[in-house]
Amino acid sequence: MRVSILGAIATGALASLLAFGAAAESIRIGLVSEITGPNAEAGRYTINGARLAVEQINKKGGILGKQVELVIEDNQSTNPGTVLAFSKLGGNSDIPAMIGPIRSTQVQAASPAIQKAGIPVMIGGTDPSLTHVNNPWVFRCRPNDSFSSRVIADFGVKKLKLKKWAIVHSTDAFGSGGQKALTDALKALGVEPVLVQGYTNNSQDFTPVVLAIKKSGADVIGTYMTNSQDLGIFAKQLRQLGVTATWVGSPSIVTDTAMKLAGEALHGTYGIADFNPDANAAAKAYAAAYRAKYDNAEPDVYSSWAFDAMNVIAYAINAAKSTKPDDIRKAILGLKNWKGVEGNYNFDANGDGLRGYNIVKNEGGKIKYVEHISFDK
Amino acid sequence: MDALANNFQVLFQGLALGSIYALVALGFVLIIRATNVVNFAQGDFAMLGAYIMVAFLINAGLPYWLSFALAIVCMGVFGLLFNYGVYYPLRHRGFLPVIISTLGASIFLQNSVLALFGAQPKRLDNVVAGGLQIGAVFLDSQYLVILAVTMVMVAFQYFFFEHTMLGKKLQATSQDKDMARLLGIPVALMIAITFIYSSALGGLAGVLVGPVLFVSIGMGSIIALKAFAATIIGGFGDVKGAIVGGLFIGVIESFAAFYISVPYKDAYAFLMLFLVLVFRPQGFFGEKVSEKA
Repeated sequence: MRVSILGAIATGALASLLAFGAAAESIRIGLVSEITGPNAEAGRYTINGARLAVEQINKKGGILGKQVELVIEDNQSTNPGTVLAFSKLGGNSDIPAMIGPIRSTQVQAASPAIQKAGIPVMIGGTDPSLTHVNNPWVFRCRPNDSFSSRVIADFGVKKLKLKKWAIVHSTDAFGSGGQKALTDALKALGVEPVLVQGYTNNSQDFTPVVLAIKKSGADVIGTYMTNSQDLGIFAKQLRQLGVTATWVGSPSIVTDTAMKLAGEALHGTYGIADFNPDANAAAKAYAAAYRAKYDNAEPDVYSSWAFDAMNVIAYAINAAKSTKPDDIRKAILGLKNWKGVEGNYNFDANGDGLRGYNIVKNEGGKIKYVEHISFDK
Repeated sequence: MDALANNFQVLFQGLALGSIYALVALGFVLIIRATNVVNFAQGDFAMLGAYIMVAFLINAGLPYWLSFALAIVCMGVFGLLFNYGVYYPLRHRGFLPVIISTLGASIFLQNSVLALFGAQPKRLDNVVAGGLQIGAVFLDSQYLVILAVTMVMVAFQYFFFEHTMLGKKLQATSQDKDMARLLGIPVALMIAITFIYSSALGGLAGVLVGPVLFVSIGMGSIIALKAFAATIIGGFGDVKGAIVGGLFIGVIESFAAFYISVPYKDAYAFLMLFLVLVFRPQGFFGEKVSEKA
C-alpha cells in the first residue's frame, strides 16, 4: 500500500515535470471524446478529424510558432465520464482551449465544468439551448437544430415550389421539437401544412400514416424521424402504397444505416446534412486529405466538425497573438466569414458559428450535393 | 370505393402483424402449459433467430433455404440449452425464481447480440420479392408469407398435439406432471422438447418478420409485449386463445390507428387487455380459475 502511494506520487511528479517540459515547446489543445463505450466508432472519427487538422497546422508552422499537441481524454460515451474528463483537462493551466463532445446531453452535463475551467470549448451538440445558458466559453461548430427546419421549409417551398406539406414526426423530444419548428418555418413562408402526423418510436406498421398522407393529397413530405428502422419501414410502405410525393427529411434520412435498410425506397429523396465533401472548396480539400491519410475512408460529420473546431482554435489564437482565454474568446467572436469545411463561420454572441445546412439528394443510393442554404445576415 | 380499399389494406396489415403476435404467443403458451411460468425471453428467441439468419445468409453468404433451415435448427439447440441453463436448475423452486431467470436470460441475450453484431439494425430481404397489387391495395409478399406460414403452423400444431403419441405425451405432461410420471412419461424430456419447439417457433417468427421490421436488438421485446397481451386476452395458456388473441390485437390496433389516432397505437392493445380483464378475466377461451382449483 505504502509503495503504491509513493509510486503514485512519483508518477504524478514525473508527469507534471513532463507536462512542464512539453509546455515549453508546444501548445497543448484538449480533446474530450468517445474512445470507449457504445459511441466509440464516432469518437474515433472525431479524433481522426482533429489529428488531421493538427498535422496541417503544424506543417504550416503551428500556433504562435509552436507545434500543436492534442491531449485526448476519454469520456466513455457517458455524461459522468464527460464531466470527469473536463475537470481533469480544465485543471491544466497550459491548455488554452478544448474541443468537446458532439452529443448534446454530454455537453449539457459538462457545462458547469466548462464554465469552471474558464477556457473556450468547441462543441458539436446541436440542441439549440446549449449555447443559451449564459456560459461564455461554449462555441458551436455545427448548425443548431433550429436551422434544420428552416432549411427544409425554405428548400421545399422556394426551390421545389411545393406548397402542400405533410409533416411526419416521431413523438419524442427530437421529433416533436422538429415538427413545431418546421410548422412555424412553413407558416413564416405562408404555407399551412395539410397534415401533421405523429407516431411513436418503434412502430411496426405505418399503413395508417401512409393512408393519411394519400388522403391529404400532399405533394411534399417533411420528416423528423428518430430511428432508422422506423424510417425504413415508413419508406417501404410509402412507396408500396403508391405515394410519389417528394420527400425532404431531417439528417437521419441520409445516414448510412437508413439508406442500407430502406434501399430503393429512399431513392430520389432529399435530406439535409451539415457536412458534404462536395459542398465547398474547403470541404473538397479536406475530403481529399482525409482519404489520403486514413486509407480511403470517407469523411463524415463526426470528423469534419472536429477538423473545423481545431482550425478555429488555431486561427483564433494566432489572430489574438495570445493564449489568454479572454483574448481567444474575443478572437473567435471576431471571425468574419471564416471558411470551414462545414460552411462559413460567423460566431454570434451566444457562440453559434453556423446557420446553414447542405441539401443533398439520394440518387440511386449515392449522396449527391444539391446546394447550401444558410441564414447568415 | 376508395374507403373500401383503405379498410381492406388496414385489415390486411392488422392480420399480418397479428399472426406474428400469434406465433410468439404460441411459444408463450406452450411453455406456460409445460412449466406454469411465463418465459420473458420468448421475444428474444425471435430476435436471436433473426440474427442467426443474418449471420448465415449475409455474413456467411449461404443460400436462403439452407440459412433458414440452419437458423431453425440452431434455435432448437438453443432451446435445449435454455432449458438446461435457465429452467432446469430452478424447476423445484416455484415460479418466481424461474421468471426472474428468464428475465435475466433476456437481458443476457440482448447484450450478447449487441456485442457480437453491433447496434446498427440489419436488413433481410423478402423471401419472394415484391407483392400483389389489387386495385389500390398492395399486399406485401412477406406479409402473405407470414400469414401462410402461421396457418400452416397452426394446422401442424393441431395435428401434432392431437394425433401423434409424442404430442399426446406433451399434453399429458402439461396437464398433470405427477400423473404423467406415473404413466411412465419422461416429464423432464417432455419439458425439454417443449423448450426446443418454443425456441424454434420464436426463431421462425423472427426470421419471418425480419424483412418487414428489420433485424434489431429491440425487435423481440416490441413483439413480445403484444404477444403477451394476446396470451392473456386469449385465455392464459390456451393455444386457440393465443392465435385468436394475436389476430384480435393486430386487427384492433391497426383499425384504431387508422380511424382514431396513430401515436396511441400501442395503447389500444393494452386497453383491450384491460377491458378483457375487467369483463372476462379468464380471457376468450380460458377456464375460470375456480373451476381449475
